[in-house]
Parts: sequence; structure tokens; C-alpha cells
Amino acid sequence: MSASRYAFIHPYHPLHLVIGLIIWSKWFVIMYGGLSVACSVAPPRPDQGALTLINLGLGVLTLIFAALLAWLAWACAQSARQAEGRPRFFALVGSGLYVASMGATLFVGVPVVGFPPCI
Amino acid sequence: MSETASSQTHDPQALHEGMTKVWGNPRGIRALSVVNHSTLGLRFMATGLAFFLFGGLLAMLIRAQLALPGEGFMAPEIYNQVVTMHGTVMMFLFAIPILEGLAIYLLPKMLGARDLVCPRLTALGYWCYLFGGLILASSLVLEMAPANGWFMYTPLSSSQYSPGLGSDFWLLGITFVEISALSAGVELTVSILRTRTRGMALHKMPLFAWYILAMAMMIVIGFPPLILGSILLELERAVGMPFFIVESGGDPILWQHLFWLFGHPEVYIIFLPGAGIVSTLLPVFAGRPIIGYGWVVAAVLTTAFISFGLWVHHMFTVGIPQLAEFFFSAASMVVAIPTGIQFFVWLATLWLGRPVLKLPMLWILGFLVIFVCGGLTGVMLALVPFDWQVHDTHFVVAHMHYVLVGGMFFPLVAGAYYWLPLVSGRMSSERLGRWGFWLTFIGFNLTFLIMHWTGLVGMPRRVYAYDGAMWGFYNVISSLGGFVLSAGIAMVLLDLVLHFRFGKPAPHNPWQADTLEWAVSMPPNPYNFASQPPVETRHPLWNTPELPRTIAEGQHDLAMYSHGRRETLGTDPLTGKARETIHLPGNSFLPLFAALALAVVCLSLLVKWYPLAALGAVVAIGFLLRWSWINGAHPKAAPDARVQAGAPPLHSRTMDGPGLWCMGIAMLANGALFLSLLFGWFYLWTVSPAWRMPDTSPLPWVWLLVGGAALTVGMLWLERMVSRLRNEKDAGLASGLFIISLLGAVQVAVLIATLWLAPLSPTETAHDAVLVVALLYVLIHGSLAPVLSLLQGLRVRYGYVGAHAPYEPAIVAWFWRYTVGTYWLVFIAVVLMPGLMGGSS
Amino acid sequence: MSGIQRRLRRWVNLGRSVIVPAAGLGIVSLGLAGCAGDHSTLDPAGPAAREVAWLWWAMFGVSTVVLFGVVALWLFTFWRSEPAKHDAAQEHRIARRWIIGGGLLLPLVSVVALLIFGVPVSKRMLPIPLPGGEQAMVIEVEGHQWWWEVRYPGAEEGIVVTANQLMLPVGEPIDFHVTSDDVIHSFWVPRLGGKIDMVPGRTNRIRLEADRTGTFGAQCAEFCGPQHAHMRLHVEALERDEFDAWLAARQAPPEQRDEYEAARGAFLEHCADCHRVAGVSEGQVGPDLTDLGSRAALGAGTIPMYDGAIADWLKNHQQLKPGNRMPAHVHLEAETLDSIAAWLETLSP
Repeated sequence: MSASRYAFIHPYHPLHLVIGLIIWSKWFVIMYGGLSVACSVAPPRPDQGALTLINLGLGVLTLIFAALLAWLAWACAQSARQAEGRPRFFALVGSGLYVASMGATLFVGVPVVGFPPCI
Repeated sequence: MSETASSQTHDPQALHEGMTKVWGNPRGIRALSVVNHSTLGLRFMATGLAFFLFGGLLAMLIRAQLALPGEGFMAPEIYNQVVTMHGTVMMFLFAIPILEGLAIYLLPKMLGARDLVCPRLTALGYWCYLFGGLILASSLVLEMAPANGWFMYTPLSSSQYSPGLGSDFWLLGITFVEISALSAGVELTVSILRTRTRGMALHKMPLFAWYILAMAMMIVIGFPPLILGSILLELERAVGMPFFIVESGGDPILWQHLFWLFGHPEVYIIFLPGAGIVSTLLPVFAGRPIIGYGWVVAAVLTTAFISFGLWVHHMFTVGIPQLAEFFFSAASMVVAIPTGIQFFVWLATLWLGRPVLKLPMLWILGFLVIFVCGGLTGVMLALVPFDWQVHDTHFVVAHMHYVLVGGMFFPLVAGAYYWLPLVSGRMSSERLGRWGFWLTFIGFNLTFLIMHWTGLVGMPRRVYAYDGAMWGFYNVISSLGGFVLSAGIAMVLLDLVLHFRFGKPAPHNPWQADTLEWAVSMPPNPYNFASQPPVETRHPLWNTPELPRTIAEGQHDLAMYSHGRRETLGTDPLTGKARETIHLPGNSFLPLFAALALAVVCLSLLVKWYPLAALGAVVAIGFLLRWSWINGAHPKAAPDARVQAGAPPLHSRTMDGPGLWCMGIAMLANGALFLSLLFGWFYLWTVSPAWRMPDTSPLPWVWLLVGGAALTVGMLWLERMVSRLRNEKDAGLASGLFIISLLGAVQVAVLIATLWLAPLSPTETAHDAVLVVALLYVLIHGSLAPVLSLLQGLRVRYGYVGAHAPYEPAIVAWFWRYTVGTYWLVFIAVVLMPGLMGGSS
Repeated sequence: MSGIQRRLRRWVNLGRSVIVPAAGLGIVSLGLAGCAGDHSTLDPAGPAAREVAWLWWAMFGVSTVVLFGVVALWLFTFWRSEPAKHDAAQEHRIARRWIIGGGLLLPLVSVVALLIFGVPVSKRMLPIPLPGGEQAMVIEVEGHQWWWEVRYPGAEEGIVVTANQLMLPVGEPIDFHVTSDDVIHSFWVPRLGGKIDMVPGRTNRIRLEADRTGTFGAQCAEFCGPQHAHMRLHVEALERDEFDAWLAARQAPPEQRDEYEAARGAFLEHCADCHRVAGVSEGQVGPDLTDLGSRAALGAGTIPMYDGAIADWLKNHQQLKPGNRMPAHVHLEAETLDSIAAWLETLSP
């Protein structure tokens, strides 16, 4: 039974259909929550524009999450090649969803480059 | 895996009669006790249709008022009630329930199952919907309806600015109705995952099931924030706890966050089933399997998740920092991509098929035009500066109707025409149907296309009078269109009604569809499948056209009725291997009685008779506990554990049956409510303009530590009991459960003492008000947990639970885990963290 | 007017003529009524609104093409004579082309373009320091059920207060600081730019600019109760020197003539607890009436100003704007109301 107990980390498990999106959700909550807390604790001067520590922190966070999702997408895609039938289906769709999550992370994170954080 | 339990052939007629004896619906007054999903699904849809007509009538009143610019025939208070009720009825009493009804009706048939996994819950959901809806609708008759717009923004909806009962009707009625949405969410999820017929692996199930799975999970996560918001606002109105009042440290914007945390996913909760209908019908009329099943699954899941990251786009003008707004703006644009993928999957399917333009397909083309248009304006609205211009104007009204009517109503009518022969065994009139379509389509566009323009030239929404020189012409057009639209809908309804009387008898599987719902009789019998067929492909009826015959002949699973039990297969969520024989409860009045008691609670809260409300709550809980008592090895459930040779064991004699999953999903919903509460706490703490945090916590942390310790010890003990049960040991089970309940009771006493003695003034500051709600939340769970374990102890004594029937303690253990988890989270969030981070904001 | 602006205007006009067939409506009626109203976002009188109008026409054009394209492709599959035969591999290729090209790339490219064009428009309305570090002029607006209070904190002699009218100098960015006294309202001058909610307990800021003189309509955009429909604001952009003169005139209390002594007495008895008239009363509940005689409308845009309008308003305001917070004056004689109205009409600095 020990094999089935950890079956969920196997790349053929359907949980991979949602793990990427859950990671995306966590990232989104951290971004929005972090920004709100940072702005209520230590708002930078408005004339600093987008060149603030808050923007930098959020940007780095975005890149880390995107890299994690990219790696997961790659791992799933690798597994999909060696499989047939059901495992292949879930690894392939899972990989696609990791890519989608990564894309969503990068796209939603882009405004960090252009806006002052707190106004 | 494809080996079936019984391969011998039965006499179809005898099998049918036997099955009907077990599954049949009673007549007369006992019809109120029916729990069958087909019957309840139809009741849901019929009730939803009635509310649709009510909401449509309100829409006509609105259009009549706005046809001319002056003061109109309705006074402002009445007009505002009508506008508010139109939105509320259409969203909460029509769109969501009718889609739930459709899913409740269809899903077991599509999955090859005989019923949903919790039939009594289906019935409870229906009654809560009906009673809640009637309470809400009655407010308009009494001229006491809510008048603050369907999203009830504070402080306009607070007792200071809305002193009447209107807001209370809304808050209590909607919360009551939402019990039905949540129960449907829970049982649809578990039914899809655990009751598919043998062999139907996750990647083989019909796409409609994926859509409904996503919708159900979204309901589970998305509705609780609104339920919490409604509870908080009702507490503010009834007893003066100032969650949304700035001067006392609350914040009206918190309501908007909680509302839209629900409200945006809700749009997709409505759209996804609509898209699911399209994905089901379109391949049938294209005469080929859908292209890109995996793409659709990915698109559905992406939509389901990302739609939770869009809620602030309803709040772009409240003064949130622009950077944060653009996170939501970008997310709102991203969500267009999965929708785009679905449209091109559908296009590719048509492209590579041979589509025929039957009536349902015509409505799908209507959906295409209208929804794409609504989607495009949706992307425009996602852009912050454009939204700042047209937000709260008629442009948004137009957009929203394009999305909702296009995304939900048109597919729904397509689905109605498609599945009507299944329900009635008759075909509807193609001619009348086409008239209905064209009138609806033209009327709709006439009403709402120009409304974009009305908004662009500056007309705000929700005005009962306006400047005729600027906006008169467009409003006349919209009103004319509105009446054409209603003529079209009347035509469709006429067709629907007439077809029951005059429709030609339908041939079997009239559209040559591929999914299993067409393998049942037309109209369906109450048990769906005389024997549950194995399914190895996505298109069972295309690959095995003789299924209807072999099913009726009882060649497949569970073709047995002599034990008098209602049974359906419980299967592995991933592979579809048969795991249990799920025995389902028969007809019962308990759901009706519980819902009636809840209606008493709702009404007495409304008129502020709190003792009666408390009594009603106790009675309701009593009925629900009685309900949980008649389970498992109870004489009225499944006292005899023997099953047909080769069939899997009864689920109540195993340890991870569907009940465990139901508890898990229910706790997910509960957790979403809890997280919303924590969100409210941290939100007010960081953002509320006049938040006041005392320097030291008013709560006695040592006491709370003791209470939590008692609770935790109880949980660990229960864990041990459950793992012993897993090894088939039940010595000392009953006494252990009693002691566990006692430990829980200690914690209850501590919490009550804390609430009683701590220097809290919940009507003075939002801080204390949140503390009280958090403690009450923990207290309610902490009280229910010992009651449940006590009940299990009693069941052991009665012999319903034990090593032979170990099912229920494992489920109760989940509730205990959840209770302990939230207890400590509350402790950390409201006691430890303020202490560590200091007072003040 | 610069060349770019002229070209923009031409684009806007071109766009206007495009929507007519698209909306399937009579050209004449739209042309007459379409953009003439002083609430139209598509008849911009300031840079922010102009950019958004331009964005709209661009988005409208692209969306129309996408809508017609997609619908045409779907319809084609029904009306083509005979679909071509494909083997499985070809089908796979064709499907992938549609899904990736149409479903993935088309929306992706569109939203990226949208963000690239949209972000700068949005940033313009941010109240950040002006280039050169100076602060923009501030006008404070406070929402009430159902009227507007407008304050000019920068005036030389303290703060100038007025109600239901907003004068501003043309050609310079102005930071509006908005809040609310009761429920949530929303401040919106469509021809100048976006709206911003007025939330009790907070002050929200938005930067707008008028680049031509004239009067512009404004109306509360967030539903705020029974008289949400009658919460309008008269906005007027003046040349800087006219604006200065207007502001200066309001810094001295209006001159009081003796012939209205009795009316002032009645006013002090019946109205002064709620209304302020500089130099006469200090009520804070209702709108400031110091310059009532000079305003363009009454009851926050409920009726236009005309000879005798104030008297009509005082007698019938609960019929004209049912539910407004001013009690009906049933206990007052018509002559008393007439005399008060006559005096109020003279309050025109």
C-alpha cells in the first residue's frame, strides 16, 4: 500500500491537473496580500514610481513561482512521453495546465514593472 | 475490470417491476417524501422556471418604467425594489437552481448511476430552495423588498440607511437558498467522483461531468464568502456588531470583497454548465466526437481557478492601488484564453464534422453570437481605464446580460429542446421552436445591443428617471426589444407546454447521441438502469448501440431487487473500478421537516423572535441527527450486509465510502467560510481606516489553551479508535467515544465561560465583534463534534457501529480534525498574532 | 487645436459613423442624439476621457472583426457544400491549428496589445506629483444623499464651499479628493475621464483635466438610494482668469440688502439649522446656499433654474424629488416661502 499512499506525487495522477492552478492561486494571494500589507506598513513615496523594494520583491516572487511551474510542466511533459492511455492523458493535460499556470503567473505579474505600488 | 457481477439475462418486465417496487415514487401526500434525483431535478427546474417568469415580469416592469424618461409609473422606492429583486431572483432563484436541477436530473444518467450519492440531501436542498425563494419573493408582495441593488452594498444596506426589513429579507432568504446550492455542490462533486459506473475512468467520463464537477467545486469554494458576509451584515443589522461601519473600526469595502469573492466565480458557475451543454450537444449535431477533449478539460479547470482571481474587477473604482487593480485586470484578460480555446474546439469539431442545423443547434448558434459579443466587452471592461468610464453604466448592464443570457439562457434552451424527448418521450414543434428562437434572438439584441451605447453616452444604471433629451431614444428601443424578447420566450414556453399534449412520440435516442442518459427508458424510470453497464469508452452508445437492451435485460451490475435496497455502484474516482455497493436511503420526510424547521428559523430571525428561532434551530438539528441515525446497519437502512455474488461489499461495511468524501467536501466549504472570516479579520486589521486594536488581548489565553488541549486530546483518542477499527478491533469503542465527547464538552464549557467573562464589547468596536464571531464559530463546531461522537457511542451500543460496520467513526473523525484545526488557527490569529505584533493598526 | 488632436477627432468621428450600421439603427437618430449629450464619454473634453474614447473605438473595431470572423467560420461549416475527407493525422493537425491559432494565440495577442495600450491611459489618472515636483490643484468633493458638496481648499481666505456645481480652470490637471458623508457614491464627469467612488471614512483621489471650456454633465454613478437618479453635478470649465474671479467672488460673504430683512428672519427661523449662507447662518446638514442664485439647477439637477424656480422648489420639492432629506414645507405659508425664495435668488456673488 505504500506505493499508492504517495501515488499523488506521481506525474500520472490527476492531481497534477490542479496542483499548478493551486500554486497559481497561492501566488496570487501572496501577491495581493503582500502588496496590501506592505502598503499599509511601509508605503514608499509616490514619486519613486515603480522603482521600489515592493515592486522588486513581487517581481522576484513572480519569477520564482514561474520557474517552479515551468519545471513542473517540463517534468510532466517528460513523463507523458513514456506513457500510454490514461497516464499519458493526465501527464499531458497536467503539463499543459502547468504551462497555463506559468503563463498566468507571468502575465498577471507583469504590471509590477510599470506601476508605483501604493496609489 | 470489465467483468460484470452477473451476466445472466433476466426477464426485462419482471426486473422492471421489481426495481420499480424498490425505487418507485409514492403518490398523494407522500410524494413530498420523494428523494429520487429525476423527480427532484424536475422539481428544481420547474421551480426555477416559475422564478424565471417572476424575474422576467420584473424585467418588463423595469423596461416599462424606462420606456419614457419622466418619473414613470413606479415611485423610486418601488422601482428600486423591482430592480433589486429582478437581479436577485434571476441570479439566485433562477440561474443557479435551474442549472443545479439540470445537473441533478442528468448526471446520474450520464454516469450510468441510479441516483446521486446523498438522495436525502437532494431533497433538503430542494425544500430550502423553495422555502427560501418563497420568503424572498413574498417581500415584494408585502412591498418590503430589498431596494439596494442585488449586491447590497454597505452602508446603504445597513440599518441606518435601510431601516426596514428589506435587507433582512435578502440576507436571510439568500442564505437559506444557499444551503441548497451548497448541498448540490457537495453531492454532485462526490457523485461524479465516486458513483460512475464500472470502468468509466476519469478521462472517459462525459465532458458535461467535467463541467459540472468544476461548477460544483466552485460552488463549494465560492458561496461561503457570501454566506459569511450575509451573516456578518445580518449580525450588524440585528444586534449592532459594526463590521462594516467605519467609525467603529469596520469597513464597508469588506462587504464588497466578500460579495465579489463569491460574485465573480458565480458568473462562471452559471457559464460553465452552459458551456457544458454546448460541449455535449455540439458533437452530436456535428456527428463526430469532440476534438480536443483534453484541451476542454484543461480549459474548464483553468477557468474554474482563475475565476477566483478576478473579483476586484467589480471594484476598480473603489480606490484600490492601481498596481493591485492591474493584477486583477490582467487575470480578467487571461480568463478569456480558456474560453477562446473552447470556442475553437467547438469550431474545429464542426469543421471536421457534418453539422446539421436542428433546433437545439440553432440556439447554440445564438449562444455563439451573443456570448462572443459579451466576452469581447468583458475583455474591454477588464481594462482599468475603460472600466472607470463605463462602470455602473448601462454598458455594464448590457455586457452582463450578453454574458449571462448568452452564456446560460441560450445553451439552457438548447439543452431543454435536446433533452425534452428524454423527459417526456415526445418531440417538440420545430416550427414553433424556430419562431421562438428568432423572436428571442432579435428581441434580445434589440434590447441590449443599443444599451452598450446608452452606457457609453453616460446613462448610469439603476436610475428610475433620466434625461429624455440625452437617452430617451435608446431606452425606447430597448423597451420595444424587451417586449419582442418576452414574446419570443412566451413562444418557447408555449412550445414546451404544447409538446406534452400534442408532441409526436419520440423515437429512441432521437438525436443519435453518444452518452448514457439515452440508454434509459423515455421517459426515464425511477431507477434509471435495471443493471449498471460497464463503460470503456467516451461514447458508449456509439460504440455499443445494443446497451439499452442489455441493460434492461439485467445483463450488467446490480440487477437485483429482492433485498429491497436501493443500490448503486461505488467506484474508484480515477480508474472506475468497482469498490463498494452503495446502498441509498429510501423516501423520507426528514428533509422536508428539517427544511420546515429551518424556514421557521429564517422567518423568526426576520421578525426578531429569537426564542422561536433558537427552538427552530434545535428542532432542525434534531431532524438532521435523526437523519444521520437511520444509516449504515440501522434496521431501516441496511441491517443485512449480504450482497450478490461477485458484487463489492456494502459501503457502510468499509472505511472509505462516499460519506467520507462528502464530509471532506463539506469541510472544504466550511473551510472556505472560515478562511473568509480570517480574511475579514486581517483585512480590517490592515486596511480599515479607523481600526482599533487593544494593546493586550481581551481573551484569557491560558483558558483557551486548556480548552484547545482538551479538544486535541479528544481528537487524538478518536484517531486511535479509528485506526483500531481499521484493524477490525472495537473493544472499548463505545466508552472511548463517550469520554471523547466529555473532553469536547470541557472545551465547550471553557469557550462559553470565555465569551461570558471576557471584557468584550462587540457592539462598540469591529475588533471585538470579529473576536466574538470567531469564538462563536469555534464554539459551534466544538459543540457539534462531541454531539456527533456521543451519537456514535450510542450507535455502538445499539450495534449499528462496530468492527462489522466501521464506516461512521472515520467520518466523525474528519469533523473532529477540522474542529481542532480551526480552533488552533483562531487561537493563533486572534490571540497570538495581535500579542506578537502589538496593538493599534 | 493641435494636429494630433484633429486627427484623433477625425478618428472618433469616423468611428461614430461605423457603429451605426453595426448597431443596426437609424443614422439620423444616432447622429442627432448620439454624442450630443453632455454626459457622453465619447465626446471628450479632457485628455483622459479622450484617450479612453480612442481606446473604445480601437477595441470596438477589433472586437467587431473578431465577432464577425468567428461567427462566419462557424456558419461556414453549416453551409459549405461537402466537407473534405481527412485521415486521423490530418484531422489532428487541423484541429491543433484551430485551437492553438484561434483559441490560444488570438486572445493572447489581443490582451497583450490591450495592456500595452491601456496601461499608460490608466497611469495618467494617478495623482502622482507633476513633473517638476509641484502639486496639482486640489478640489474636494463630498457626496451626500443626494447632493454634492464642493470645496476649494486653496482659496486665499480659507475654504470656499459650494454645492452641486463644480467650477474648474481649463488646461491644468486637478486632483479631486473625494469622500462621502453617508453611503457610497461615485464621482464621475464622463467628458473628463473615469469615475472614482466616494467611500465614507476614506479619501480617494483622481486626476482629471479639462482641455476646453464649457459645461459638462456629471451624475452619481454608484447606486445610493431612492434619489440616486437625481444626484447630478453641474461642471463648468473656465479660463484661468475667469475661474480666479469666480473664486474670489466667493471669498467675501454676499452683500445683504435691507429689503430682504424679513425673509432672512424667516430663513434663520426655518432653514438655518441645516443650510449655510456665508455671513448669515452656519448649518451643515444640507447644501451650502451662499451662491444659490447663480446656480444652473436646483435639487442637484432635478429642475433647471428659471425665474421662480426656487419658490417652486421650496413648495414642491417632495413631489419633484420624492424622499429627499429636506422636510416638506407644509407648515409654512406660501408668502413666507416666496419671500425666502426671492431673497435666495439674490444670492449671486
